[in-house]
Formats: sequence, structure tokens, C-alpha cells
Amino acid sequence: MTRQMFISESALKSLAEELVKAGTRLVGPARERNGDLVYREASDLGEIELGGDPPTRSLKEFFLPPTEVLLTYRQKQGDVEVTPAPHVFAPLVVIGARPCDAAAVAAVDKVMDWDYHDELWFGRRLATTIVSVACGGGDASCFCTAVGLAPDSAKGSDVLLVPVEGGFHAEILTEKGEALVKAHAARFTEGGKAEAAKAYRDAARGKVQANLSADPAKIRAFLEAGFDHPIWKGIALRCHGCGACAFVCPTCHCFDIVDEPDSIERGTRRRNWDTCQAAKFTLHGSGHNPRNEQNCRIRQRMMHKFAIYPARFGEILCTGCGRCIRVCPGGMDLLETLDKLGRLPAGAPAEAKRGAP
Amino acid sequence: MTQGNLYAPYLMRVDEVVEETVDTRTLKLSFKDPEVAAKFDFKAGQFGEYSVFGAGECTFCIASAPTRKGYIECSFKKVGRVTAAMRELNVGDTMGFRGPYGNSFPLDKMAGKSLVFIAGGIGLAPVRCVIQNALDLRDKFKDITIIYGARSVGDLVYKRELDEWAKRPDVKLWQTVDPGGETKEWKGQIGFVPNVVEKAHPMALNAFAVVCGPPIMIKFTLPVLAKLGFKDDAIYTTLENRMKCGIGKCGRCNIGPVYVCKDGPVFNAAEIKKLPPEF
Ligand SMILES: Cc1cc2nc3c(=O)[nH]c(=O)nc-3n(C[C@H](O)[C@H](O)[C@H](O)COP(=O)(O)OP(=O)(O)OC[C@H]3O[C@@H](n4cnc5c(N)ncnc54)[C@H](O)[C@@H]3O)c2cc1C
Ligand code: SF4
Ligand code: SF4
Ligand code: FES
Repeated sequence: MTRQMFISESALKSLAEELVKAGTRLVGPARERNGDLVYREASDLGEIELGGDPPTRSLKEFFLPPTEVLLTYRQKQGDVEVTPAPHVFAPLVVIGARPCDAAAVAAVDKVMDWDYHDELWFGRRLATTIVSVACGGGDASCFCTAVGLAPDSAKGSDVLLVPVEGGFHAEILTEKGEALVKAHAARFTEGGKAEAAKAYRDAARGKVQANLSADPAKIRAFLEAGFDHPIWKGIALRCHGCGACAFVCPTCHCFDIVDEPDSIERGTRRRNWDTCQAAKFTLHGSGHNPRNEQNCRIRQRMMHKFAIYPARFGEILCTGCGRCIRVCPGGMDLLETLDKLGRLPAGAPAEAKRGAP
Repeated sequence: MTQGNLYAPYLMRVDEVVEETVDTRTLKLSFKDPEVAAKFDFKAGQFGEYSVFGAGECTFCIASAPTRKGYIECSFKKVGRVTAAMRELNVGDTMGFRGPYGNSFPLDKMAGKSLVFIAGGIGLAPVRCVIQNALDLRDKFKDITIIYGARSVGDLVYKRELDEWAKRPDVKLWQTVDPGGETKEWKGQIGFVPNVVEKAHPMALNAFAVVCGPPIMIKFTLPVLAKLGFKDDAIYTTLENRMKCGIGKCGRCNIGPVYVCKDGPVFNAAEIKKLPPEF
């Protein structure tokens, strides 16, 4: 059962101080020198922006870093010694996560635990407590409410804070959340301010709902039957295949595995972010490429997020955070595409031919 | 304290290097850790991520059979970075191996039936694993027919084993090379694999077919098998979509709803016909 509490702004500041003093890493949306708002380590809650613009990058990099050592090796005369990367991590508390970013992490958990438990991902998950702050409704690219989430979703968060007069209504959602409250018990007061929080939550939902009202079930039905639909022929005319959309996406988790020798004798094996939008992603050794056109690659991205992942893991692999829209140099607009797909009838029209993307 | 993780490979020693063709070699590998060697088991059709430290990892089927204990073999064609590094390996060198991954050929379902193996070029590697497995349990199966083709005599792999199979009275072996690929001494067929399948005319009744080779060969072989009466769910093949993790995480091997590394790499023709043409 969710416990409801209240924490004042100054108490939250003190809580952050206590964390930092205890050696816990504190992370939240903070400005870079160039003005970008990103999730980064902070030494004080004053650096962290609780609300306002969506951060340009997501929380993903704290669980799946852009580049990460899997193992190091040393070799001499045919003999090799391998040291796997450790998967125990120092405690970290995120304060001010966007609910959509917390939800994304919970969605990716499923694939990272699919039969094979990814120790590196879950090592970081285990060490991290996520305190989200309900969002005020984002900007014109946000569409979380169209993918089953909301600006105040609890999914993936350990504690959800909703701004109210003088502080935050706090919902304690998980054991990790309880542990945080227990460790800083003096900062919280019993009984939330649910009533006061409601007006904020309703207003935020209404704001996002106005951006897009598509039905994910309808979109999935279209994608599952519409592989040959003519819409895919022209879908990627504005796409450069740069992959920026995937890198800023909180749920895209494709990676590559490469060796980086430091010398003949030693080096590291790493996993690096990769993307299905890159032409070489599926290139076979023979030179054959199953997805040889950008149209196919965009279709794959849509299908993976809105049909394949939902069928396999019961989750839409998109939180409607809008980042791919904000970042795309070609002006590809997922919100627009979803709106379009949502209006198409499921199934390919009769004249479409299989194998003609 | 060493903590393993999913991506840390077992270490393997190269025990033997066999030159199959100009660009293809077979490596015989054994686990360096005797405990791992004792525990390791797999099923025909499964694959692994093989690595050369400093060059990286790549995906190969396990080309030897699970019935032959103590070692595994992989046969590879040099096409890129890792396979080029693998060509530099000598007996005594160390490689990495993660696996076994993926599903396997349904040998239980095939028991008591006739088997028809059809392969082209290096496509014989995954098929050879099933052939060896079936020959090691020969009593469990009825007729065994092997139809194998390559572009030229020089492109045939596993020549020593082809000679062995040719001598066995309980195996019908058809070897063929593309027209122009024959030598003066060549005693096998001359022609493309699908035509030789037609000529060999294997019985479809109570039989399973295992087909592997270049996409074009598979494309023209399937209609021949259909004509011979093989149902789609009695024809098995293995797909080779590019992979990295091999364990359903990296997102590389998707074909529509299917993750080839987890749901495959072995599929029957009925399953393949349901997939979008992205392989
Ligand atoms: C389940 C499965 C089983 C497989 N089994 C086998 C098997 O038994 N035997 C086998 O041989 N293969 C097999 N393969 C294919 C094998 O995985 C690839 O051939 C292998 O990964 C290639 O690795 P690489 O690092 O050498 O190539 P990479 O270096 O990754 O090359 C990849 C691509 O880059 C291109 N490229 C590489 N170097 C250059 C260059 N210098 N200039 C221009 N282009 C270049 C290549 O043409 C190729 O298209 C299998 C694949 C799968 C998925
Ligand atoms: S959709 Fe935009 S951001 Fe994504 S790969 Fe294409 S050009 Fe790059
Ligand atoms: S696909 Fe776009 S909107 Fe959806 S989660 Fe990824 S970046 Fe956000
Ligand atoms: S190879 Fe990584 S998901 Fe299949």
C-alpha cells in the first residue's frame, strides 16, 4: 500500500544534504554550462531543477551508459586472463526524475531480465533510488497520456512527489522508497496533501492530453498487419539515419559489443549504444542487408516500440517523452506519425505487395 | 573476488586448425577450465559468441555434435574483422566462447523418421552438427540422405567427412558442384542443389528435411521439397541474422516479432513464411 506523506521544500533540501554527506551520489536535472538541462550529479539540491523543461537526455545513461566496460583482458603468448567488470555499484539517489523517465527504466527492466539477468543493468538499478517529481505537463512534443502513462505516473519511481503549496505531497511506492523515508524520517510528516495535489495533477494531464489522443491498441493492430502498407514507402524521406532519436530515447536499449585493445597485451571489451536506425546495424558478413533502406529501419523502430515489445513484454516501449521529436535534424515527428497511423485501418490495402518496402 | 557477468566468456584452447577451403577454416576448441568442460552441454542447432581478444566477438553455430564430448568445433568464413583475426590463430592459442544460445533442431520429434539434409557451401556447418548427432544415434532414425553442393570442388567443406559418409552403406550422399566448378577427377553431380534434390527424390513420407545454405538456394529448394510432398512443418532451417548479444538484449536480430537469438535460430518453413522478409 502506498504511504502518503508531506515534505517541505526546505526539508527536501536537508534530505539531499544528508545524502551527500553520507557519500550517496545525488543526481537530478541540472544545467550544463551551455545551458542544457541534463540529469547529472549534483552536490546540492539548489543545482537541481524540480519541474520545468524536460531534460534533453534521459535517465537511461545511469543504467546503460553510452559506453560501458564488460570485461578487461590481458594476454601473453596465447594465454588470456579475463576480469569481468564488477556489478556492485555505489548508492545513488535521483531527485527530480521525470515520471516518464522512471517509467522507461521499468519498461527496459523486462528485456534485461528476459531469461538472462543482466547483472550490470540490475546492479545499477539495485543501487539507485528514484524520487520523481510529477511533471506540470511538458511541452508540445509530449504525449505520455497517449501511451498509457501520465505526467504523474508512479511507474518505475520509488517515491513520487507532487508539488503543492510549500513543498510536496509524497507517495512512498516501494521498499526502496520506504528505506529512504526511514533514513530521513525527520524530514517527512505523516499524511499527504492529496487534495491539494489533485488540482496540479489534473491540470497537467489535461495539458498533455491536448497534444495527442491516439489509441495504442489500434496502432499496434495496424503495425501487426500493416508491414506492407504503402505508408512505409515514404515514411523516412526526412530521416538521415543519424540515430539521434534512439540515443536520446529513454527506452531504446540496442547496443554493440566491441573490443578496444590498449596494446597487444591488454584491452577492454565494451558495450556501446547502437541503433536500429544505422545502416550497418543488420549488415551480414556476406554483404546482404535485410533492412537495406531507411524506410525499413523506421518501420522497425515503430514496430519494436508499439507492437513487438508490447506483444513480448506487455509494455509499450515509448513513454511519450517527446525527445526524439525535439532532437531530430530532419523534423521526423513521432507524435504526428502516431496520429496518422492511429487513423489508418488495420491491415494492408489489397494492392500492396510483400517485400516492397 | 571475481564476479562473472553474462558477457564474460569461457576460455577455450585451439586444439586443431583445419583448412577447409581457400577462405574457410574449422577450429577445434576445448574448455581450459576442466570444471566447465565437464558441465558443458548443448543441443544440435545452438550457437555461441566466439571471440578473439582485441578483435571482438562474432556468432557461429556449433558445428560439431553434442554427442561428441570434450570439444566443440566452429567453421568460419573470413568476411571481416573478427573472422580475419580468427584466421591468425594457431594450435595452443586462446579464444573466448559464450553459449550455448538459442533453440535447437527437434531431434526428439525426428526420431523414428527419415532425415534429408540439404546444404550449400558453408551452410553445411550447422547441418553437419545434426548429421553427426543423427549418425551417432543411427538406430534412432530410418533413411538418411545428404545432399550437399558448393560452387566448385574447391569450395566443398568437410571433405574428410564427405568421404566417410560416402563410404557408409546407411547414408545416401549426393554431392554436387555448380556447372563449371567441376574438376577432371570429379565423380559427383554437376548442377544446382535444387535440381539435385529433385533427382535424388527423397521420400517425404515420415521424413524431415533440414535445409541450410545461401538464401537463393533455400528459395529454389523449398518449392522442390513441396513438390516432393514435404509439408512446411517438416522442413527445418536455421537463420543467420546479425547478432551481438545472443541473449535477447541488444535488439539486433529482430525479424518482425521474432528474436532470432532467443526464438531461433532454428525455424520450420511454416514459421518462416509468417515472418516479414527481413532475413
Ligand atoms: C546463428 C548464426 C550462426 C552463424 N554461423 C556461422 C558459421 O557457422 N560460419 C560462418 O562462417 N558464419 C556464421 N555466421 C555468420 C557470422 O556470424 C559472420 O560472418 C561473422 O559475425 C562476421 O564477423 P566479422 O567480425 O568477421 O565481420 P565484421 O567485421 O563485423 O564484418 C561485417 C560486415 O562488414 C563488412 N566488412 C568487414 N570488413 C570489411 C572491410 N575491410 N572492407 C569493407 N567491408 C568490410 C563485411 O562485408 C560484413 O558485411 C553465423 C551467424 C549467425 C547469426
Ligand atoms: S528520425 Fe531523425 S533523429 Fe532519428 S535517425 Fe532519423 S534523422 Fe536521426
Ligand atoms: S520514442 Fe521518442 S517519445 Fe517515445 S520514449 Fe523514445 S524518445 Fe520518447
Ligand atoms: S542478438 Fe542481441 S537481441 Fe538477438
